[in-house]
Amino acid sequence: MIDIEDRFIEKRIFKNRLILIYLFFGFLFSAFIYRTYTLQVYSYSSYESASIKNKTRSILVQPKRGIVYDRNGNILINNVPSYDLIIQPSKIDNISKYLERLNNVILIDQDERDYVLEQFDNKSTYNRELAVKRALSEEEIARFEVRNYLFPEALIDKRYRRESEYPYLFSHVLGFVGAAENETMSEILTTQDKFPGETLFKYANGYLIGKTGIENTYDNSLRGSFGEKIFEVDARGKLLKQIDFIEPTDGLDMFTSLDLEAQKVAFEAMNGRKGAVVVVEIETGSIITYLSSPSFSINQISNGISSVNFEKLIEDKAKPFFDRASQGRYSPASTIKPAIGLYGLQSGIINWDYTIDDPGFFVLPEDQRIYRGWKKGGHGNINLENALIESSNTFFFSLAYQSEIKDLIDHLSNFGFGRNICVDCFNPGKGLLPSPEWKMNNLNFGWFKGDSVNLGVGQGYLSATPVQLAFYSGLLSKKGSLKKLSLINDNVGKETIVLPMTNITSKDWDKIHESMIGVIENPKGTAKRLKNLKSYNIAAKSGTVELVSLDSKEDYELVRQDILKRDHAIMIAFAPMPNPKYAISVVIENAESGGSVAGPVAVKVLNSLIKE
Amino acid sequence: MKQASFKRFTIFFDQYLFIAITLLSVMGLFFLYSASQGNINVVMKQSIFVGFGIFLMFILSQPDPDIYKILSRVFLITSLILVLITILVAKEINGAKRWLDLGVFTLQPSELVKIALPIYLAAYLFEKPIPIDLKNTFKSLLIIAVCFLLIARQPDLGTSLVVSMAGVYILFFAGLSWKFIGSSIIVFLISLPFLWNNFLQPFQQQRILTSLDPSADPFGSGWNITQSKIAIGSGGISGKGFEAGSQSHLDFLPETETDFIFAVIAEEFGFIGVCILLSIYMFIFLRCMYLAFNARDRFCRLTIGGLSLIFASTLFINLAMVTGLIPVVGMPLPFISKGGSSLLSFYIAFGIIISMASHKKLMQR
Repeated sequence: MIDIEDRFIEKRIFKNRLILIYLFFGFLFSAFIYRTYTLQVYSYSSYESASIKNKTRSILVQPKRGIVYDRNGNILINNVPSYDLIIQPSKIDNISKYLERLNNVILIDQDERDYVLEQFDNKSTYNRELAVKRALSEEEIARFEVRNYLFPEALIDKRYRRESEYPYLFSHVLGFVGAAENETMSEILTTQDKFPGETLFKYANGYLIGKTGIENTYDNSLRGSFGEKIFEVDARGKLLKQIDFIEPTDGLDMFTSLDLEAQKVAFEAMNGRKGAVVVVEIETGSIITYLSSPSFSINQISNGISSVNFEKLIEDKAKPFFDRASQGRYSPASTIKPAIGLYGLQSGIINWDYTIDDPGFFVLPEDQRIYRGWKKGGHGNINLENALIESSNTFFFSLAYQSEIKDLIDHLSNFGFGRNICVDCFNPGKGLLPSPEWKMNNLNFGWFKGDSVNLGVGQGYLSATPVQLAFYSGLLSKKGSLKKLSLINDNVGKETIVLPMTNITSKDWDKIHESMIGVIENPKGTAKRLKNLKSYNIAAKSGTVELVSLDSKEDYELVRQDILKRDHAIMIAFAPMPNPKYAISVVIENAESGGSVAGPVAVKVLNSLIKE
Repeated sequence: MKQASFKRFTIFFDQYLFIAITLLSVMGLFFLYSASQGNINVVMKQSIFVGFGIFLMFILSQPDPDIYKILSRVFLITSLILVLITILVAKEINGAKRWLDLGVFTLQPSELVKIALPIYLAAYLFEKPIPIDLKNTFKSLLIIAVCFLLIARQPDLGTSLVVSMAGVYILFFAGLSWKFIGSSIIVFLISLPFLWNNFLQPFQQQRILTSLDPSADPFGSGWNITQSKIAIGSGGISGKGFEAGSQSHLDFLPETETDFIFAVIAEEFGFIGVCILLSIYMFIFLRCMYLAFNARDRFCRLTIGGLSLIFASTLFINLAMVTGLIPVVGMPLPFISKGGSSLLSFYIAFGIIISMASHKKLMQR
């Protein structure tokens, strides 16, 4: 039925087709081997890392923030632990019964119970911890610890709060911490080569970041760097076992230049009045006391404050949040006079023998306008020394009138007015040093001679912060050279500011110092009342900031009915003379008299620092 | 007489195929042990299937091929009836009726069609002129279409495609004309959009699109392909070691015991392991081709060719799917994936192949 010919044709067809099939599957085979080669050899590293990424989950471990100390080693801000009861849901079968059992040892209220029941399944599935009760009391801890063998699935874990033992003392200078925004947090983590994600928190409030003060300016070193716990996970994200633990690096402790005792004294002396006290150690430029009053509790803000209390703080008329030391702008008033006197000596307009006749007022030759002094009838024939001691306005009106305004402004700028002279203050203000350009740009008026005359007694547009005034005071005490201010103890390499005054001799400085000692010691001195409050000599200059420009005392009596329109009291001082160690500035708002109100505060603080 | 009695006790056997298949099956048990995360029950059950399969293969290689030729029509009709019964009575599992519960064993009749159809076609074409003419081509295609549509009704697109492929392979070996092949391909390509819109379920369309770009939907249908590629790629040259594949053991990889078992092997034994495994598969395939070429008659040639191509096609569809070259279709890795019917069907196929290769007919010229 099938002949040989057919058989031959059939076999040939089959052979040909078989060869085609050979080739086709040979091709498939090679293509597949190539495909596998591509995956397993050529792209191995990327798939390997994908596989590792798949099976590992890293959980960030929060570092502890550094502790902040004062210059004598007193702890100013610390991490205070609280204790939480933690369970491991994946090891617990029946949570309701388990809570019943726990309840026999530690009382668990309905809210806590509801929270646990709500979270339980999720935490169990992914093998995460669950906090049953926070902030356990000592008794609760003790009750649990003696029975902990009954609860191998539960443990007590430490959580920290950022706390200061002196919450009101250092509010502005130390500042507070708060929850970091996600964006900020990812930036910080990026700098530490980490990615935001699940985190084991050491702080009850989660991610913390310094919001103000030292907590903010030194956040970088205080915060430390995050550690990482690396777990093996399955496809559902359940933690299986810990593979690696990179310990977090806790933040660096900070040794500030602040002095706890002096700060306390300043705080008590201010007694909640609005104002600021700043003390500088002359040798180093370190800030020893930095008080803005009134203040607020940094503990409350750092660890969660109710919105009601927060609103109260914000709406408080005394503005406790406002950092008067760095941000407050006050006219230096008469405290500027030593700087103006030095200008006169430097420019040769006056010398120590130069006198003018002070009738109690100065008449501006251009428009006959009258600029009054504080003492009716004036100070008579007066030289620079007495003009400083008695705070003659006329002397300095006249001197400023004769000045070259540009030179005078440059001169004041050298003292730190109108610029930042603190290297690590939080959000430092610059005050205002007016100039003809400034006035033209901002007020659209040219510079009048009268503006110069006002500048001579530290009134008018000129304003400075208490920190700037303390620096100014320090610069006077150290005869024209002072390191920039800072809040840390180690200030090697800080820039030193030197007054470029070639014509001023050491003798001139001595006489300036003597005049300023006279402010207290001389019977005619404006702050003679301070004389018996201390046992060493203080060089000082008082100032009274007029908030309202008036022509007579009677007018002021009317004005002072409104407390907020009363004059500010200012005092700068340095001591002990003749070898001063500390320079101070005190500002008290609406306190009227620099010498007799701000003065005693300054003396008390200096007394606490200068113990024989 | 003496010769006849000797002949009666002859064992028909091809040691190359036998050793290679046994080797694959045993290796498969180890792979399955790891892929099932050390589930000894799964391995024991599979061992029973493997043992029974090898026994079945041995038994089926004993009868003379002519018996298969004679019974081929009965085989095909029986298996098609079983498919029909399945559609009518079987319980729906995952939206499909594929399994017939026989008490001790659930049978997937479509797997039987996969074998019966090529044998029937080979027998049918045995007496027809070669190369196959147009009339017989259409008659054969009609039979293939009936099988295809029946199985596609279950629905089981993967198996129905393999069954049709099996039929087409026979026609191809029987000398299907190139003109016909060429015009069929053109018609197919033209009707592709129509088929896409009318015959594919949305999930099937999604699978095809995903295989073209798995990263477009990494957590949906692209997940399987992505994880499978990671498993294979991260195996590297020498693999992560037995039972040390993180992708399979931490549940990133789906279907590790069945469709994606190759990814488990590639992850744990690396490129070297893959090459060894593929070499064994290729050896089996090439051996079959050799046996087909030297088979004693047309029926045997066509059957061996057709059955071994089903084996090779299943293999490469599985491999291409696991490595993300084609969409995910349920297709096992022969002799290794966990399974009943599909596993046994390969032992049956190779039993028949060995029968056809080892029975030599003395030609009466």
